[in-house]
Amino acid sequence: MKTKYLKEWENELNICIRCAYCFEGCPVFKQLSWEADGPRGKAVLAYGLLSGEVEPTKYLADKIFQCSFCRDCVERCSANVSIPDILTAARADLVNAGFKYDAHLDLLDKIKRTGNIFGREIHPPIQGGETPVLLGCRFLERADDAKRYLEILRRLGIKPKVVDETCCGMPFGVLGYKDELKAQQDKFRKKFPYKEFICMCTTCAFFIGKNYPDLKPKYIIEEVAKRLPYYNPKKLGLKATYHDPCNLARGMGMVDEPREILKQIGVDLIELPTKGKGAECCGGGGGLLVSDGPLAERLAERRMDQALGRGVDILATLCPTCEFNIGNAAQRGGGKLKVVNLLDLVWEALR
Amino acid sequence: MKEALIKDLKKIVSEENIRDNPADLYVYGSDASVHEALPWVVVRPKTIEEVQRIMRYANAELIPVIPRGAGSSTSGHTTPIDGGIVLDMKQMNRILEIRLQDVLCRVEPGVVDDDLNRALKPYGFFWPPAPASSRIATIGGEIGANTSGLRSVKYGATRDSVLGMKVVLANGDLVNLGANTRVSTAGYQLEKLMVGSEGTLGIVVEATLKVVPLPKFRCLGIANFNKLEEAGETISEIMASGSSPSMLELMDNIGITAVNKNLSLGLPDVAAIILFEADGKVKEAVDYEMEGMKRICEKHNGFGIQMSYDAKERTRIYTGRKKLFASLSRYKEGIICTDLADDMAVPNSKVAECAEKIHEIAERNNVIMSVYGHCGSGVIHTKIMMDVRKKEQWEDARRVVEELYDYVDKIGGVTSGEHGIALSKAPSWKKARNDLLPVMRAIKKALDPNNILNPHKLQDAPDDWVTATKLRYLVRG
Repeated sequence: MKTKYLKEWENELNICIRCAYCFEGCPVFKQLSWEADGPRGKAVLAYGLLSGEVEPTKYLADKIFQCSFCRDCVERCSANVSIPDILTAARADLVNAGFKYDAHLDLLDKIKRTGNIFGREIHPPIQGGETPVLLGCRFLERADDAKRYLEILRRLGIKPKVVDETCCGMPFGVLGYKDELKAQQDKFRKKFPYKEFICMCTTCAFFIGKNYPDLKPKYIIEEVAKRLPYYNPKKLGLKATYHDPCNLARGMGMVDEPREILKQIGVDLIELPTKGKGAECCGGGGGLLVSDGPLAERLAERRMDQALGRGVDILATLCPTCEFNIGNAAQRGGGKLKVVNLLDLVWEALR
Repeated sequence: MKEALIKDLKKIVSEENIRDNPADLYVYGSDASVHEALPWVVVRPKTIEEVQRIMRYANAELIPVIPRGAGSSTSGHTTPIDGGIVLDMKQMNRILEIRLQDVLCRVEPGVVDDDLNRALKPYGFFWPPAPASSRIATIGGEIGANTSGLRSVKYGATRDSVLGMKVVLANGDLVNLGANTRVSTAGYQLEKLMVGSEGTLGIVVEATLKVVPLPKFRCLGIANFNKLEEAGETISEIMASGSSPSMLELMDNIGITAVNKNLSLGLPDVAAIILFEADGKVKEAVDYEMEGMKRICEKHNGFGIQMSYDAKERTRIYTGRKKLFASLSRYKEGIICTDLADDMAVPNSKVAECAEKIHEIAERNNVIMSVYGHCGSGVIHTKIMMDVRKKEQWEDARRVVEELYDYVDKIGGVTSGEHGIALSKAPSWKKARNDLLPVMRAIKKALDPNNILNPHKLQDAPDDWVTATKLRYLVRG
């Protein structure tokens, strides 16, 4: 198999000493527990593809795609090796070798046709303000929520400018369609020609920050955390837990800001057993929802159980995919847990 | 043959606990060492009975069996050099009993060190070996390698805290070794023999472990030295003074430079740093130990000394040491840290001399080596840092390993203080201790006459570690 992309990672794969510290918190390894399911095992498989010692097979490809890119392994790595980046390269080489999944192709086709992951034409609530705000696919689809969050910004002294937008390309990147990613990035730049802007979605903010070196996205919560204290928010008097989205906590290092906001709006925060940079993933990232839906669901159910085990009935989070995945788990679990976006709590406090 | 093997194994464990896909075999073919060799099949037993049945079968069919915990061995303990069955023991992970009235606990071999300590903490006790890999290391693996870590200077190694164990022998028999008591003179202490036997004598399926009370106070100090020799003398004198440090660590200038380059911690650009720590139940006693060690540091021109009980401050002081390995990994573009000659132990009085010698050998052989480690226990960690893609660098590494271990033997040290022998240290260790080999081979023959338990390791390992297995790196030329 040609390893056009993995080749670039040979040095990092050598730097990995295979200490296995990355096992410790890997949600997929915790569920499946064979070593090929853990980050080290996947890195070893990537090395095998690079060296030609293992044959690319459907079985192997499934392993490489069975990862939520939660970056827990990056936090725990003794040598600072980024296994998600290595797996991204492995996925790209596997795709080029013909290991394409119908579910992935279907998702990417929707983006190519309509500019969003839902495959239908959706327009954002166009607004002619001063500060560009990127909604991202999931908030495009949740227009009412997006309008509320834009109103939060307005009440905090920001004049949001909203234009028609297209997907930032994240699904192309994580699912291994690197060649097509470039085309989607060009489309994105054309439709959304701003260098500095606010992102409503954690995943878009992280992906753009990492994959568009010249752009400076700012995640919405940074502005909210900075401005909220000056706008005298109400105290909600609620008890809730907070789930740290992987891209926010580990990807962008924002652990304190959401907690500060919850404190300011009078939410009694009951922490989950794992939190901050050590928080367990809900399973929604890295394309796992489309690669292995049942596994992604199990991970979300685990997070839901942890919340219920803390005696709370509200779980706040920020990432729309976490909201979606844990929210669905909560529904399957009988609706005992209410999953909300933290911005909804902010809205309540500002109304 | 493989089909028959799988079919037979399915009669012992459920199908979901057997893997023979080439991808899985490739993953289980390496650990944290430089070695690589493929097993024929991976099996996850869940009960003692399953382990017994697997061993009876393997013994009858003469199939190698390699027990594996986290697979974090740095010397190739779990590399299946002859193929065979890898027994992934991580599913046998129950803490069976915490019996504080007898100050012990009973665990299955797949229990992770940190998990055990989390379970013991509410009772005010801990399991002391504390290897750096405690977050993933299993008790079975720790027993196999006689692991220890940064607090071994006070609390010893795994062997010191193992009271007893249940072991499945090569023929499938189950034996109970050791006792539930602190002392025992009832026959050979075979449980001690099993510790450090690297899976070559039996499969540990349960262990009875001595636990230790958690200290109430812990104080960490740091001292800088302009001469490596003076840091070495300090370590030796601290140990000779009757002090009881709970940690006594050394870090050389290469390590300091690497940490500063990668983390901007602003560590002083000195020849060496010593970290010294004391713990105990009474603060005055800890103060006494710390003041004593501080005076010795000062006597040997240690400067910039800081000491703290505060947990956050201790974390700050320790950050450089903790991040040392990650920093060494990024020391120089294209240069890779390999776990070779990585844990020799030398008499305390020889630490400084040994550190200087390591630098000299490295320079002469075109590799980079940093010196750090738990020098209070005499353990010196190093990594051979080289371009692993170049064939000639492996020749350099071969010379370094040989020269270094010859020197360690000459000054009365041992080949391995913490990680074990397995494959990559075996040639040097066999050369240094060839008087032991017939005895060890006789023991092996008595317990495993068909040589199926982790064969060709330790005394039976190949004489050239470079060619003992395929190297796990892509080597050119």
